[in-house]
Amino acid sequence: MTRLWFSVAFAVLVAAAPAQSAELPDAIKQAGALRLTVNSTYAPMEYRDPTTNQLVGLDIDLANELAKRLGVKIIWSETPFAELIPSLQTKRADFIISGISDRSSRREVADFIDYLATGPQFFVLAENAVKSPADLCGKKVGTTRSTSFPVEIEKWSKQNCETNGKPAIQYVPGENSIDVRNQLKQGRIDGAVQGSETLPYAQGQEAGKYRIVGEPFATGYQGIMFRKDDAALREVVTEHLAAMIADGSYKAILDKYGLGANAVAQPMMNASTQ
Amino acid sequence: MRAAPTLAEGFPDLSGVTVARQAHWGRWLAAAAILVVLAAIGRAFVNGQIEWSYVSRFLTAKVILEGIINTMVMAVLAMALGIVLGVIVAIMRLSSNPVLASVAAGYTWLFRGTPLILQLLLWFNLALVFPTIGIPGLWSARAVDVMTPFLSALLGLGINQGAYTSEVMRAGMLSVDAGQYEAAQAIGMGRLRALRRIILPQAMRVVIPPLGNEFIGMVKATSLASVIQYPELLHSAENIYYANSRVIELLIVAGFWYLLVVSILTPLQMLLERRFARGAAQVAR
Amino acid sequence: MTRPLVAVRSVSKNFGEFCALDRVSLDVRAGEVLCLIGASGSGKTTLLRCINQLTSADSGGIWLDGELLGVREEGGRLHRLTERQIARQRLKTGMVFQRFNLFPHKTALENITEGPVQVQGRSKQDARAEAMELLGRVGLAAKADAYPSQLSGGQQQRVAIARALAMKPMLMLFDEPTSALDPELVGEVLAVMKELARSGMTMMVVTHELGFAREVADTVVYMDHGAIVESGPAAEVLGKPREVRTQSFLSAVI
Repeated sequence: MTRLWFSVAFAVLVAAAPAQSAELPDAIKQAGALRLTVNSTYAPMEYRDPTTNQLVGLDIDLANELAKRLGVKIIWSETPFAELIPSLQTKRADFIISGISDRSSRREVADFIDYLATGPQFFVLAENAVKSPADLCGKKVGTTRSTSFPVEIEKWSKQNCETNGKPAIQYVPGENSIDVRNQLKQGRIDGAVQGSETLPYAQGQEAGKYRIVGEPFATGYQGIMFRKDDAALREVVTEHLAAMIADGSYKAILDKYGLGANAVAQPMMNASTQ
Repeated sequence: MRAAPTLAEGFPDLSGVTVARQAHWGRWLAAAAILVVLAAIGRAFVNGQIEWSYVSRFLTAKVILEGIINTMVMAVLAMALGIVLGVIVAIMRLSSNPVLASVAAGYTWLFRGTPLILQLLLWFNLALVFPTIGIPGLWSARAVDVMTPFLSALLGLGINQGAYTSEVMRAGMLSVDAGQYEAAQAIGMGRLRALRRIILPQAMRVVIPPLGNEFIGMVKATSLASVIQYPELLHSAENIYYANSRVIELLIVAGFWYLLVVSILTPLQMLLERRFARGAAQVAR
Repeated sequence: MTRPLVAVRSVSKNFGEFCALDRVSLDVRAGEVLCLIGASGSGKTTLLRCINQLTSADSGGIWLDGELLGVREEGGRLHRLTERQIARQRLKTGMVFQRFNLFPHKTALENITEGPVQVQGRSKQDARAEAMELLGRVGLAAKADAYPSQLSGGQQQRVAIARALAMKPMLMLFDEPTSALDPELVGEVLAVMKELARSGMTMMVVTHELGFAREVADTVVYMDHGAIVESGPAAEVLGKPREVRTQSFLSAVI
């Protein structure tokens, strides 16, 4: 709780700070470009449009707007999810905005500026009889194995199934969210878990195919990841993000993807309790 | 007594002069240069950003050891399936029956012509095409229940291997002298019995080295089954670094075990080669 | 006149353009030793291989012990026999090859017992006992457990003869049995063949060993370009050949 207060206080300070702008690091200014890498299999955050094969998404739009305000362009690259943090560490990327959750286990190597509320959420095929999350106790539930969701499922299962005398959820790994939905369709798993930010898109793509079960069962944030020693870049990005929230352009982008409900009031640093 | 022949002048007797040892300066220089390069690489790794404590911590972790066992079990079973299929298909290919020969050729073309990872993904996701599989009237089941990661990996790896093995077996069978088949026929053997008793045992000698190589390749190919969630070595290493972000350290752990297994298998294959050369090493005088 | 053991009637065989056999006809009586001589490509080996059906004739018929080989007559047409039926017919002949063709992965004894046990279903003990006897007969009882690669060419060929005899054939075919041997090893093989002839086995031998033919053969047949040029008692064909072609062949060989 203390952490949350501290983070809120910090956020307020940042928002109320005078127009003393932080400066872009010299290297980026000289290059005139930000190098960013994303795992483009995560609609609607970042993905390749199936018809045009263009790189699109909420993170892409946010980053493009930030870059415009910083006066630089972006050199995009793509990488598997598990390579995002190494890309940051090896300086292949200047920062990471790629639907990555702010988690304490990740703060060993980076700092997060939280910009989107999220949390894992259960969903099933529309015709499934399951009504509430508790119905999934003892059933097979799948999710992408390279994310933090397997751990979340286990935690939730312990608290909500095993303590109530019900059998635990059987976790089934998948390679990525498309693989997971495939396994759901084939009946290899009874339910699946994805970040709540991705579900409206999935439902839009395959109308009437899926049904969300319950609310996000752990609240957290998606964060922009910065190297721990990169305070300058982190501050300048935070500043402009706060400006975007203030002038409504942030909300507009979120609404474009049907995620207005996931908005945060201020950018926060390392605010997630997970 | 034999008269010594008269020899021309000017050619001295060198039989008593010793041959000096060659200095091989070039070799020494090359060896030194290579050692310097290796030392530099070694030093770079030691000073690099690798947390060796993670490597030693996870080297014998339970999931890693289980992964190795799963890797080896799958390699052995898939190779066995591949050899059985390979022998059958090779015999079909060499048959005088055009239907059998065409089916064999088609199988080889299909499974050598597509990437292994693609075949694995197809087997694992079979239920997208056939939600239920079975023999009409006898038995049916949901495809997802049948196509577990284990079975999908076994079928994917084994059937793919069969296509390559069939070519090796075919070459081995063709390498056996035609006279052997005729001698078998002359004592009244039919084609299949001659193949089983006379041709195949001799083909083994030619076939063992490439099959040994194929098996070593299979051990490594099992790592592709990680994408269909078969819990082999790479899959286990990945799960660990998905949790703790120590990508290089865990890849070193996995790499170490693959290297160790292959290093043990290589001399074993040589022993096997020698056993099959029994009785056939020398050409008949 | 008793029925001949082997009756060849108008057998022809072509390999593409090349005519290997041109309407050859021949009789072989039981117990007869017949030697086929001639230049390479004259058809001698092809004829032999047609008799044990390693090669199938294009036209004509061959009868062994009264049975038509490779085909059956039905409704005025000839129908090929199945592979199984042909394999069964082969049991009546034994063949000895120029290159021995012993099974290299089996010992001498195993080479000999392979056919009787696997094909004729005889018990392993019986087959072993008979094999040892045959090895003794060809003078190689001590080499029962040797592998072919450990034997000299002459020894291998003698084992090959024992292997063919183990099937108890009624006709033995020899395809240039000594042509691949070093000269000093030829004698031991010929000795075995002589003993076999004396024991009454019907033999057809393709050979260049005219001394053997003169000594052991009842009949000598000279072939050229796929046809029989001259045939008759050994002494006549080898001593006083009637045909000019026979004469020139013999004078070139001697």
